[in-house]
Amino acid sequence: MLKTNFLGLELKNPIIIAAGPWNRDGASLRASIASGAGAVVTESIVSDTLLDVRPRIACDENGAQNIRLYSDIQIEGWEREMGIAKSNGGVVIASVSAHTPSELVYLASKLEKFGADAIEISVSNPMGEGLEVVASHANIVYEMTKEVVAAVKLPVMVKLSQNTTNISKVAKAVKAAGGSCVSAINAVRGILGVDIETAQPTLSTYGGISGEYIRPLGLASVATISQTVDIPICGIGGISSGKHAIEYMMMGASAVQVGTTVMLEGRNSIGKIIGEIEEWCKNHELGSIADIRGKALENLKSFDEMKIEPAVSTVKSVPCTENCDKCTVACMYGAIKREADTVVADSSKCMGCGLCTFICPAKKLKLEW
Amino acid sequence: MNIKQIAKAAGVSVATVSRVMNHPENVAPKTRDKILKIMEEEEYKPNWFAQGLNFNKTKTIGLVIPHMLNSMYMEIAKGVEDVAQQKGYITFMCNVEKDKEIEKNYIEQLLTRRVDGIILMFSSLDEKFIRSVEEQDVPVVLIGEDKRAKGFNTVKVDCRLGAEAIVSQLVDNGHDSIGILYGNDPQQESLDMLEGYKNILKMSGIKILDEYIKPVENTIEGGYLGAKKMMAETPPRAIFTTSDEIAYGAMDAIKDSGLKVPDDIAVAGFGNARMSNLVEPKLTTVELPFHKMGVYGARLLFDLIEADGRDEENEDKKQSDPRQIILQTKLRIRKSCGHKERIGEMF
Repeated sequence: MLKTNFLGLELKNPIIIAAGPWNRDGASLRASIASGAGAVVTESIVSDTLLDVRPRIACDENGAQNIRLYSDIQIEGWEREMGIAKSNGGVVIASVSAHTPSELVYLASKLEKFGADAIEISVSNPMGEGLEVVASHANIVYEMTKEVVAAVKLPVMVKLSQNTTNISKVAKAVKAAGGSCVSAINAVRGILGVDIETAQPTLSTYGGISGEYIRPLGLASVATISQTVDIPICGIGGISSGKHAIEYMMMGASAVQVGTTVMLEGRNSIGKIIGEIEEWCKNHELGSIADIRGKALENLKSFDEMKIEPAVSTVKSVPCTENCDKCTVACMYGAIKREADTVVADSSKCMGCGLCTFICPAKKLKLEW
Repeated sequence: MNIKQIAKAAGVSVATVSRVMNHPENVAPKTRDKILKIMEEEEYKPNWFAQGLNFNKTKTIGLVIPHMLNSMYMEIAKGVEDVAQQKGYITFMCNVEKDKEIEKNYIEQLLTRRVDGIILMFSSLDEKFIRSVEEQDVPVVLIGEDKRAKGFNTVKVDCRLGAEAIVSQLVDNGHDSIGILYGNDPQQESLDMLEGYKNILKMSGIKILDEYIKPVENTIEGGYLGAKKMMAETPPRAIFTTSDEIAYGAMDAIKDSGLKVPDDIAVAGFGNARMSNLVEPKLTTVELPFHKMGVYGARLLFDLIEADGRDEENEDKKQSDPRQIILQTKLRIRKSCGHKERIGEMF
């Protein structure tokens, strides 16, 4: 049911564990494969391992910020690690990160030799890269992708960034250069917060924000790419449940990657996510997960295509004993009032904005067109 | 104890012990551990010379360095050695003092010592000579641009682009008289940087003046003397130097002349040597990935050495073409040239 052909590889499911320190060496990759994921991506492998930055990861209830997550194992060591990673089978995608095409070609060819099943070019990390990340320049991404594609026989996926004005242009460059797929999105440049007693930002420099915070950005990026470029997409950003994964697939993703959730909740979360998707597919009598790909795109319209529904929309008055008053406070048009056990909506004042239907904890309010 | 005795003690053949030393991955873990344990107990040291005879490998490489006192060359050498060490190789380091004859002589010496490969750092030798080394079946890798020697495995950095970036930065900071002190080594890179300097001045409509272009020794002293000469008449508002060492000397000369960096004269270097973050004011410079240059030099060399013994059956044709690794520079904006625009460095 969840079997997916992705990058020309047969995956037992479309859930991939993303690049990160949870996949930092052979042993951890093997553990990730054992979690049941369809594939795993190595922590990004670089030309020359840099000094450690400590501390480098922070989190709160909505996600995480990191300021450097690259492999601390040199390419020479990955020959051994790749062997360990693949010793019980499984699909391993090697993530490589560098500043010039020749470096990327070197790393990718080595990893091909060491047994990687695919390459992910990651030039979209927002840390230490200047205001414009490499992946915001379509021409550079084109050069890099083209040279790597020419050098290896493996499928090449390119990880894109939300830190660009036109992600569709970059995805087009990947396709033109012969890339097999794009993954979107990488962590987004941000600062998690500030300790106002000590005037200390959470981490000492700008970092990449991941998790819950970026899912809406990831969904929009995936939708944009799938509406404008004919290239397979791997959705990334804030996936912690089967529902989230399905959302990405409905926006056009062929597969998804999970990173921050694995970091914060462990590898067991992968089994949970897969279970939830299976359950959902069963309930909806779906033979194959591929059937839902792009389903929601039909309902994602451009501004011009949106129909102005009946000029005056109304919220129906409903009996309500919740006593939270969220709807009456939030109604900017003064249309909702409380009367004893009822919430009364004044249809002459209601502008049909829809906010009350989302803010009501009991989901009692509905727009009636 | 010799290899035969180890084999006897472990109850295996000499070939198996040899495999443990050379291709341990091909030996059953249990046998391997047993043999390794005996070797450790007996403090067995393999006879490297004999091994060299057997496998036609001495497990040594040669590294030819232009000038040992310059920290940039030593940082590159560290990169080479880090990889060599991991591969179980010894590195012979030869300091040639930027002298072509010494360089040739050292290479002859390395060849008679049967090194498995040679890395030439910013070599001054011509293509013909380097080719003659390769013809003796000793692979060669070049670190640094050399327009006279083409078609070799090379690691290089586009220094012209780096110089253009830093000179643009000086222009953007409002400096309209900018001098350059360019070193005599690395030769090609320094000339490329001079070209980059001229390009930006031309593009920015700044007149190129001979008195602001001074060739100097790539040393602190060279920088000191060059800056003194440049300041003799009308000092420029900013000085770009093709190495950080030259910049240290220039900063010293500026201070000795009773002027201030960056208030009177801004200084920008090239390289980002370790000291550049410690001198006062901290030096604005262009980072050269020294360590990475060494690491890639060694990687290319070991790829050649390892491919050498293998049959050509499954080797891609691509592999036998000379490979070029081109690395990138990065601006490091610090206080020596004022630093309102730190955006490039900050994020």
